[in-house]
Amino acid sequence: MSRLPFDTLLVANRGEIALRIIRSAKRLGLRTVVVCHEADAGSPAAEAADMVVGIEGRTGVAAYLDGAQIIDAARRSGAQAIHPGYGFLSENAGFARAVAAAGLVFVGPTPEAIDLMGDKIRARAFVVEHGFPVAPSAIEDDDPASFVERARALGAPLLVKPSAGGGGKGMRIVRDMALLEQEIIQARSEGTRYFGDGRLYVERFVERPRHIEVQVLGDAHGHVVHLGERECSVQRRFQKIVEETPSPALSPALRERICETAAGIARAAGYRNAGTVEFIFGDGQFYFLEMNTRLQVEHPVTEMVTGIDLVEQQLRVAGGEALAFSQADVTSSGHSIELRVYAESASRGFTPTTGRILALELPQGEGVRVDAGFGQGQRVTTAFDPMLAKLIVHGADRGQAIDRARRALADFALLGCETNMAFLGRLIADPAFAAGEVHTGWLDENPSLAAEPPLDRVTELKLLAVAALSTRAVRDGADAVPTLHASIGAWRN
Amino acid sequence: MRHAFDIAGSEIELWLAREGAGYRLHRDGGEARVALSAEGGLRQMLTVDGVSEPMLVAIEGELLHVHVGGRSHVIRHLDPARRFADADASGGADMARAPMPGTVVRIDAVLGQAVAVGDPILVIESMKLETTIRAWQDGRIGDIHVSEGQSFDRDAPLVSLTASEA
Repeated sequence: MSRLPFDTLLVANRGEIALRIIRSAKRLGLRTVVVCHEADAGSPAAEAADMVVGIEGRTGVAAYLDGAQIIDAARRSGAQAIHPGYGFLSENAGFARAVAAAGLVFVGPTPEAIDLMGDKIRARAFVVEHGFPVAPSAIEDDDPASFVERARALGAPLLVKPSAGGGGKGMRIVRDMALLEQEIIQARSEGTRYFGDGRLYVERFVERPRHIEVQVLGDAHGHVVHLGERECSVQRRFQKIVEETPSPALSPALRERICETAAGIARAAGYRNAGTVEFIFGDGQFYFLEMNTRLQVEHPVTEMVTGIDLVEQQLRVAGGEALAFSQADVTSSGHSIELRVYAESASRGFTPTTGRILALELPQGEGVRVDAGFGQGQRVTTAFDPMLAKLIVHGADRGQAIDRARRALADFALLGCETNMAFLGRLIADPAFAAGEVHTGWLDENPSLAAEPPLDRVTELKLLAVAALSTRAVRDGADAVPTLHASIGAWRN
Repeated sequence: MRHAFDIAGSEIELWLAREGAGYRLHRDGGEARVALSAEGGLRQMLTVDGVSEPMLVAIEGELLHVHVGGRSHVIRHLDPARRFADADASGGADMARAPMPGTVVRIDAVLGQAVAVGDPILVIESMKLETTIRAWQDGRIGDIHVSEGQSFDRDAPLVSLTASEA
C-alpha cells in the first residue's frame, strides 16, 4: 500500500463525526488537528486530536462555516489535508476550490461534482440524460405559465420542491390541484428565503414512499463501486431517525437494480470519494431523488455489514490511491441498524432540550458500536444540531439486530439532558417497525409513538424510593449522597 | 412529614419511617421496605421489599436524574417550604411563586375566574419538567403575573388568588 501524500489531517467539523474521522486517521498513522469553537471545548474530539485550533464566530455554527478561518488553521497547524465531515462545509464547492487553491487536499469529491449534484435541477437533468429513472416531473424554466401547466398535467398528488433545497425546507405536498399555484408561490418564497434560489421543480408525489439510498465509492482512476443500500424511511420532519441495511423492502433483484443504478450515476458523473445516491421507492418503482456528495451520518451501518472503513477509503482516494477492491470483492453480512440519539423531547413535538451531561455510560457488547460526540460534564446547548450520539448495532439477521438495539438502548445511560432514547425504544418495539412496514410519513401518521406512556406502578415506586432515600441521606449524612435540596432535612419519623 | 415529588408530571406525596437498617416508604395506597446503598461513583443499589437493583443517580439542584430499568427519569423534589408557604398563610391574598427559573407553557384560567382547590391555573416548565400550578384554595384569580411564553426567575410571582368569602 502506497503512503498517503499527507501526514497531517485537519478535521473541519465537531461532535461525533470529528471524533469518528480522527479515529480512522490515527489508524492510518496520520497526525490529527481539529478546529474547535469555544462551545466545544473539552469535547471528546478535542481531547482525541493531536492538536486543537480555536475558531471564532458570531455563533458556533458561523465559526465552523468560516472556510477562510479553517484554511488558515490548516496552514498554521501544518495540516496538508482537510476532511469536512458532513454538514457545515462538506458540500460547499467554493470551499473545496479554496482548499485546493491553498495547496491542500480536500477529502471529498471534485468541486465540479459538488456543483452538479448540489443543484437539484441540473442533477435531475443529468440523471435523465444518462437514462436513469426519475419520478415524473416538471422543472421550472423561463416560462412560469407553462411550468404550472406542465405540473398540472402530472396529476395529483404533487410534491413541490426548491431546486436548491435540503432538509425538507420549502417542500410542499399538493393534493388539491386548485391550490397548486398558491403552493408554488409559497415554495418559491421559501426557497428564496432559505437558499437564495427561488427555482422550483415539481414531481409526482409517491404516497407512503420509502427512502432508500446507496453508498458509492469512486476513485480518481475511474473505478466506482457500490456498498449496498440503506433504508432511511423512519423520519420526523424529513429528518432521519433510524437507518438500516439491508432494506427490508427490497427483493434481491430490486436490490441489484437500485445499487447498479446508483453506481451508474456515480460513474457517469466521474465521481470520486464517498457519496450517496438517494432514491424514492414506492409501488415497486424507484426514482432518483438526489446525490449527497459527502460522508453521511448513517455511514456506519454500511461499515458494519461490509467491514469497510469508509473514512479510510475517503482518505486513500483523496490521496490518489486506487480502490483496492472491485465490486466482486464487496460482500455484505448480517443486518445493521443505526439509531440517532437526539437531545430532544419526543413527547413535546421533538423540541430540542438542553442540560449538562451528569452521567454517561455507553452500551458495550457484541455487535454494538456507539459514535458519540459528547462526554460527561459537557453542556448540551441549542447552538448546534441536537444529535448527541449514534447507536449502531449489528446482528446475524434483522431480528437479532433489533434485539441488540433494544438491549443497548437499555444500557445507554445519559443523565442530565432529556433524550429521545425512550422513544427510540418504543419505535423499534413497534410491530410495524418489526415487520419492516414503514414509510417516510409513518411517524407523522402515528403520533402516539412519540407520547410518553404513563409510568407503571412498580417503576413509580422505585423512583419514589430512590428520591426519598437520596433526600433522606442528606439529613443522615451517612451515605455520602450529594445534596438534593438545600432546604431538605425535615423528615420526621 | 410528607414530602412531594414531581414524577412525569404527577405530584406524589410520601413519607419515610425508619425500620431496622432501612426505611419504610409510605404513600397513599401502599407502602414498601426500601434501602439505598452507594456502590461507588453515581451507582446506587436500591432494594425494595428485598429485591435489589442497581441504578445511576445524579443530582442537580432540585432535580434527581435516575437511570433504572433501562430508562432515564427526572424527578423533582417539591420544596415543602416553598410549596406550602403561600398556601399556609391563612386568609388574605395568596400568591404562588416560581419554585425555580422557567417558562410559562400555558395559562388555563382568566382574571376573576372562580376556582376550587386543585383546579389548574397555569402550566410552567423548568429544566424540561412541566408542572401544573393548581388552585391551593377556593377563590378567584386575583392576578396572573406572567404571560404565555414568558421566562421567569426563581421566586417570581406567578398567580395570586383571592379567597372566597365563606
